[in-house]
Amino acid sequence: MLQNEQEYIRILKTRLEGTLPKDELDDILSDYTEHFSIGKANGRTDEELWRSLGSPEDIAREIRVMHLVKKAENVRSCRNIFHAVVATLGLGLFNLVFVLAPFILLIMMLLVFFLLGMMVTFFGFAGIVYSLLQLIGVSAFSVWYSPIAGVFISTGMMTTGLLVVIGNYYLARFFYLVCIRYLKWNISVITGTESAP
Amino acid sequence: MNIQFKKGVLEICVLSVLAHKDCYGYELVSEISKRIDISEGTIYPLLHRLKDEGYVTTYLQESAGGPPRKYYRLTESGRKEEHEQRDEWMRFAASVNALLEGKNDAAE
Repeated sequence: MLQNEQEYIRILKTRLEGTLPKDELDDILSDYTEHFSIGKANGRTDEELWRSLGSPEDIAREIRVMHLVKKAENVRSCRNIFHAVVATLGLGLFNLVFVLAPFILLIMMLLVFFLLGMMVTFFGFAGIVYSLLQLIGVSAFSVWYSPIAGVFISTGMMTTGLLVVIGNYYLARFFYLVCIRYLKWNISVITGTESAP
Repeated sequence: MNIQFKKGVLEICVLSVLAHKDCYGYELVSEISKRIDISEGTIYPLLHRLKDEGYVTTYLQESAGGPPRKYYRLTESGRKEEHEQRDEWMRFAASVNALLEGKNDAAE
């Protein structure tokens, strides 16, 4: 493979197209183009400049991660945070343990809380309906001591369930922010794109 | 040298060079790689991040016999950040040096 300016810029461009908006991509590419042209004006060769810049694949990966985390921070969505996490994972094996494991654990926890909350809410609601049916004499089989108590107990259950679901929502929001901070920390510490030995 | 060391201090190095004078990318990169062996290409993404965070701005300036160059300049908040990070680094480096030189018993 030819290690020249055109190839370097081409690799950066193809790896970043579709992720970065056009103006941002052009801005970044112009930095590297300028670097090559000033370097060559100072008598350095394409290969020398390539080697001291470091692999364009690594640089592109780093820029991609930075962009995706910024995006997930500005526009909160499952999709964006997922993309940011996956891109961070691509930075190295180290991240597999330190990003993926806590991330999956958190998602599972949130999911379990959500399902539990929904279940309690559902049973509460069903309990209310059943007790009311009992009160008007449609159903004879008694679950609780009295249908009136049944209405109160079920209402309590339903509210508790809803509170869990609502609390879960705030917990998810909190974890989202923590996740962003964690990814950012990862970027500043771990992206070890050292010049090839 | 340990890559994590270098990564961690790159930001304060960039801020510090820019605190002395406005630089175009190549100039800044040479200034830093003169002293620290790091892959030069990583400095540009860092500059973009600093720009996003409002610590630096850019402007174009004509150069003698060539296309205009993009210069990076520290903003007010960039200057503040440079001060803070510099103080933090100085304290940290002094503590580490003291420990390494075995002067930790002097604090007793």
